[in-house]
Amino acid sequence: MRVNDAVRRSAVGIGPERTIGDAAEIMEQAGVGALAVIDKGHIIGLVTDRDLVRRGLACRLSADARVDAVMTTDVVTVQADTDLHDVFAIFRTHGFRRLPVTRGEKFVGMITIDDLVIDLAADLADLARPITGEVLFAHRDIPAAVTTA
Amino acid sequence: MQASVGDRIVIGGRRVGQPDRTCEVLEVHGTDGGPPYVVRWGDSGHTTVFFPGSDAVVQDSEPATK
Repeated sequence: MRVNDAVRRSAVGIGPERTIGDAAEIMEQAGVGALAVIDKGHIIGLVTDRDLVRRGLACRLSADARVDAVMTTDVVTVQADTDLHDVFAIFRTHGFRRLPVTRGEKFVGMITIDDLVIDLAADLADLARPITGEVLFAHRDIPAAVTTA
Repeated sequence: MQASVGDRIVIGGRRVGQPDRTCEVLEVHGTDGGPPYVVRWGDSGHTTVFFPGSDAVVQDSEPATK
């Protein structure tokens, strides 16, 4: 399975010149916890709700501060055709929960740990189905009929 | 996904009780109506670049003909 097949949620991007107040409102309106910071079609950073709190509010930044003041740069990305197992490894190695997906140099979406958990839960359910059937409706051999001469 | 300027995109709520969210397509930056799109969100007027996932559905801007 490829990364692109597992991306479920829409992703939202904003320009680096936008304010952190805008970013918070957009997160609320779009229902996302992270925004890709896009410049000329390329992802140059990632700003999360946590960034807004830790690097914005906690540092007494004004709501008019620019997004690029609080965003995370040097973002680790993954190509859309990467095998999903490699994404597991990236999440395991790094301490983040979201991974921007790119095709070539272009940002195309975001994959989250939540997406992977949903896939894993579905796989587990598929595996559990025959086991559940066996436990609940155990197949018992019917003894052969004894015939007497 | 294919969309045109003026189409609305609806993103389904992810939790019970969470309302759907809508945005209007202002610009289409992909080829053949493909993403990314520049959209305007709800009533706030904020514009963003939008990369639709499988949770997003395009609503045609033109009313259906009978």
